[in-house]
Amino acid sequence: MPDPVARVVTERGEVRIVTRRMRAFPDDSWTIARAVEDGAYEAARKAVTSMTPDETIELVKASGLRGRGGAGFPTGVKWGFVPKDVFPKYVVINHDEGEPGTFKDRELAERDPHGVIEGITIAAWAVGASKAFIYCRGEFALGSRRLDAAIREAYAKGFLGKGIFGSKFDFDIVLHRGAGAYICGEESALLDSLEGYRGQPRLRPPFPAVKGLYGQPTVINNTETVANLPAIVDQGGDWFKQWGTEKSPGTKMLSVSGHVYRPANYEVPLGTSLKEVLQMAGGMRDARPVKAIIPGGASAPLLTSVDIAMDFESLKDAGTMLGSGAVVFMNDTTCMVRNALITTAFFEHESCGKCTPCREGTWWAVKVLERIEHGEGRPEDMDLLLDIANGIDGRSFCPLGDAASWALRSNVTLFREEFEAHVAEGRCTFDGDFKVLAGMRATVGDAGVMPQPGAGVSSDRPGSHDDEAAGRPGENA
Amino acid sequence: MSQQENGAIRLTLNGREVEAPKGRLLIDVAEEHGVFIPRFCYHPGMASVAVCRMCLVKVEGQNKLLPACATQVDDGMVVDTVEEDAVDAQRGMLEFLLINHPLDCPICDRAGECPLQDQTYKHGPGSTRYVEDKRKYEKALAISELVVLDRERCVLCWRCVRFSDEIAGDAFIQLVDRGAGTQILTFTDEPFDSYFSGNTIQICPVGALTSKPYRFVSRPWDLETAPSVCSYCSVGCPITNEQRAGKVVRCQALPNEEVNSFWICDKGRFGYHYLASEERLKTPLVRGAHDEFEATGWGAAIELLASKLKDARVGVIAGGHLTTEDAYAIGKLAKKVIKTPHVDSRLQDAGTPYERVRALAGVAGSTATFGDLDSAETIVWAGPDPKETLPVAFLRVRGAVMSGRKLIVVSARASSLDVFATEVIRTPAGGEAAALRSLTDRLTDDAVICWGPSSPGRAEDATADAAIALAAAGGRRLLVLPPHAGSQGMIDMGVLPMLDAGYKDSAETGMDTLAILEAAAAGELDVLLLFGADPIADFPDRDLARRALSSKVFTAVVEILPTESVALADVVLPAAAYAERDGTFTNLERRIQKLEALLPPPGSAMAPWRIAQRIAAALDEDWGWSDFHAVWADIKKNVTSHASVDAETLAPTRGVAGPEGGAYYDAPFLPDPGTNGSVVAGPGGQYPKGHRAGAPFQSGQNWPLSWELRSFEARQRPGFVPEATSGRLDDREGNRESPSEAEPAADADAGALQLYTGRFIYDSGAMVSRSAALLRLAKRPFVEMNSTDAARLGLAEGDLVTITSGDAAHDLELRLGDVGEGVVFVPYDQPGFKANELMTGTGRVVTVAKASAPVAAESGAQP
Repeated sequence: MPDPVARVVTERGEVRIVTRRMRAFPDDSWTIARAVEDGAYEAARKAVTSMTPDETIELVKASGLRGRGGAGFPTGVKWGFVPKDVFPKYVVINHDEGEPGTFKDRELAERDPHGVIEGITIAAWAVGASKAFIYCRGEFALGSRRLDAAIREAYAKGFLGKGIFGSKFDFDIVLHRGAGAYICGEESALLDSLEGYRGQPRLRPPFPAVKGLYGQPTVINNTETVANLPAIVDQGGDWFKQWGTEKSPGTKMLSVSGHVYRPANYEVPLGTSLKEVLQMAGGMRDARPVKAIIPGGASAPLLTSVDIAMDFESLKDAGTMLGSGAVVFMNDTTCMVRNALITTAFFEHESCGKCTPCREGTWWAVKVLERIEHGEGRPEDMDLLLDIANGIDGRSFCPLGDAASWALRSNVTLFREEFEAHVAEGRCTFDGDFKVLAGMRATVGDAGVMPQPGAGVSSDRPGSHDDEAAGRPGENA
Repeated sequence: MSQQENGAIRLTLNGREVEAPKGRLLIDVAEEHGVFIPRFCYHPGMASVAVCRMCLVKVEGQNKLLPACATQVDDGMVVDTVEEDAVDAQRGMLEFLLINHPLDCPICDRAGECPLQDQTYKHGPGSTRYVEDKRKYEKALAISELVVLDRERCVLCWRCVRFSDEIAGDAFIQLVDRGAGTQILTFTDEPFDSYFSGNTIQICPVGALTSKPYRFVSRPWDLETAPSVCSYCSVGCPITNEQRAGKVVRCQALPNEEVNSFWICDKGRFGYHYLASEERLKTPLVRGAHDEFEATGWGAAIELLASKLKDARVGVIAGGHLTTEDAYAIGKLAKKVIKTPHVDSRLQDAGTPYERVRALAGVAGSTATFGDLDSAETIVWAGPDPKETLPVAFLRVRGAVMSGRKLIVVSARASSLDVFATEVIRTPAGGEAAALRSLTDRLTDDAVICWGPSSPGRAEDATADAAIALAAAGGRRLLVLPPHAGSQGMIDMGVLPMLDAGYKDSAETGMDTLAILEAAAAGELDVLLLFGADPIADFPDRDLARRALSSKVFTAVVEILPTESVALADVVLPAAAYAERDGTFTNLERRIQKLEALLPPPGSAMAPWRIAQRIAAALDEDWGWSDFHAVWADIKKNVTSHASVDAETLAPTRGVAGPEGGAYYDAPFLPDPGTNGSVVAGPGGQYPKGHRAGAPFQSGQNWPLSWELRSFEARQRPGFVPEATSGRLDDREGNRESPSEAEPAADADAGALQLYTGRFIYDSGAMVSRSAALLRLAKRPFVEMNSTDAARLGLAEGDLVTITSGDAAHDLELRLGDVGEGVVFVPYDQPGFKANELMTGTGRVVTVAKASAPVAAESGAQP
């Protein structure tokens, strides 16, 4: 076997722990023949046949692996919360990758489904679950087909099913496709959806580790998180910790997009500077300056500088977050009002409607942002937007509302002059095609919000609601 | 709500140290200590969901505000509900809720008693910054015959959805869509077809769900309210009666954790229209020279009756909707003044041996309470389908099962309990007793046996004995289920041939209802005295009852409405209904609860105990009762089991009937069966009465759409089957049919089956059928048997079959259902069919065969 470090380190600065196989064998990395030839399932075999569950948990704790879905909670610690003596237990893989700008789990499942399955097997062995569910985002057509095929192949090889790897451990994986709701990426809403209910977050406590799927102890892990497990079992925690920072060891897949030359997934050691990431992606298109960066998915507050290390702590200190690792670079042609509108409209569309602040606050913010973008803003609107954001932040039922407020607040705070210019000039200060927005909003209307003529929804009639409502605010109290 | 309580802890609430049981919800603890935290989604009768975010408060050490409705108090907790951030959150949440609220308060029924209004005044912003268009939906969707939905007003608190799913168990109303487009809706083509739908109106914190019968009828501040107890079934739910312009226009549930929690059924909520019916009897009537009723005064009517009673052979039958005081007066009149032992109060439950229950603890009634259902290990149900006949008892049993109790159902026909029962024992015809006996060794001592007459007209002796034996075997508790609100009071006060008041054996056992009617029919009685009793409609032998009343016997009827029995009477004495008099009902737990008069009785009608007193006075016995307290003084003196009841403090149910549930009151009474004692009311409570002053009551004719008109409209609708003869005072001749003496089919020939019946919630009863909205919901009559029996008889689902008993026959549509072997089920009293027509003599064997002719027009059986 070649040197394990040399296998994963690349010349351009990427360290490919979870993406090595797919990059090395781009033509057939998803087939079981290629995967097994490349060493797939050996780590799972090792764990199941030669390690106890507790040893597996300890190993993962020692590796310092943190959840890759967004919150960054230490994986081994999470496993430790699961009561030992309650059966059945479940492992649920959150493959509902819905965060705008994120496409890492998608590529993992499409190109290395066996790596994912192997990781799930290790997780299940560690917590003592004999059944795992992959909650796959509904839109992932290719990914779900490849996962489905890979699961069948694994069953055929005896890597799944009764007594896997010749042990006494029975293990099944069920692939479940979602129906396209962002909220189902929230773990408790995911569980409700998996059980067949409306996908809406649950009241906690009880936490899923104690009372999760079907009321049983449940571990919910992100796809990328479990994809790291084979390498950790194979090479050990210290090997894993040689990359990344002390508190954020290992690598992170970053889904880079926006105004760059080579948008793609890049797997880099945690702590890599954003500037390096930008270089990997080929730099800014047309050499235009960076105006704003979304560092960790649409929920993450914006950055305006690339001089920052991409790890959980550094980004938190900068007032934002690593999140799902979706990095969106925006250049100086970007209208930040429209950015705020698109982002907030996304959250409004995806709000489950369960709690008041998220449901009504995002609706309201979209209305105000639409007015500003359409040249109907008022001087007090910026403070109003911040008030709406404050009214949602920390008060919504689940993090979806918080995320919407963070994105909104950071847009208004960082680019207030731009908002004010929209208001002062009574138009969008950038070139732009409103039709795109109009189309997006119409979809919201179709979902039941019933757009009214002149409600700012039909953007071909800007200003039509001006005389009706804006002049008589008291009537809308 | 029962919380996990692990002893007292101390917490700081707004700077004040308070004590509370550990684990209780912060929102409740705060309220108990005078701090009302605003809320929309929280309701003490249901699990918390914390979705409205209105109750966010500051808890020291937490970086986010916490929802008080989902936070359990803990020792040392420091809570601030008026902290700056919390107040800002409350104001902000109201601003959010109001941006899409239509603010159509001027045309909203809820205005004036609206939690959204009230909490906006108290916690909300004075104005809005929202200038955009609001969400629009089609307004005023009728989602059932009773409930109207306005989605624009909805604040999506989920209370209705949670009630339907969690409490009623029939999730007809649901959330659809998501985000800002989330709506409350029913499913396409499925109305909100629940027996408990009205509760969602009462708990709706805005005007999103409104009552169809009450829509636009009154402003809450124009209502005068009195606490009362529902007069229908024996559960005895505390309710409010609310009147405007001299008519009861609304009834709502009063919360009592011991009885109904926060809920009542739709029959109790919407079944008040009979009170204001034009048909109400308002003046005494006597049969005149031309065999027609003539109005007369009380003096003349009582004098006539008294003259007939002197030295006469008298039978007395009382109905199930009279108060405890009425029962005492009737018993006293019959046994002490008229001196006849022939007294009974059992009609549809005729022959039920309630007196045998005394074997357990000396009382002819329950030894268990509803509360015992929640703590027992196992509940055994051998009674009528509770959802149809004792709806809130159904909720109690369901709630107990949902919280982990085991439920064993013993019945010959599928019931509403089956879906969540631990075990269902489907008995063949007559097999209930054997099934109960088979449980003796399978139950632990921690069980509650629920037994009551389940099929009018069927002998209950064997089942009763088995239930009593099952309860006695392990010191288990028995919940007896007599049918009506007044039934237990009648038993307690000795309106029975074998019992005197206080569960004492009668000196002389008299004739029961069957024997009284037979004697009357045979001319062996001189006078038949009916107090709120309608044997023709209710007694399980319609023919016998009709013959008894049509005979030479002099019949006096005390009634509120013109029933079929009234039509055959010689003297009719108008009675006050339950909302028109003070008094008490004794429910099936033997819990005594007070009613308060809200309205004067119509015309010169009066409470039945007053009528009994006047009859006694005419027979030279002066009881000297001036009000119901005086009656109770007499009861205390003469009925040992009720000696401890203090009428002065017999409190009405305390609490505010509102969407917030209000404070539920201290449990009143409950006689300890062991000591044979009785009934203590809770401490005196005050109920906020509506302002009577300065609000003159008009005739009610100002209303553009009166109840009469609504009722009239309903009768014009196709599909409505009016009762054939009820309320007709002038067709006495038509009813004087020659009695047929047919013997019941004795041999089990090919089609012979045992007849089972049961009442449904909305039937042709004299009271409920006056509510047009409810009668429209009444099920059509049908006949039901199991598929094996049907196959044996060559019958199939949907066939028109003739069910024959002696000379009586009726064509009905056949349904195949989960009924025991050899059982044929028909509803007791649905529009167009009276099951007691088929009950002649004591035989309950009928034959069923395919109808020879096409649908007979008079059958009334419409698909």
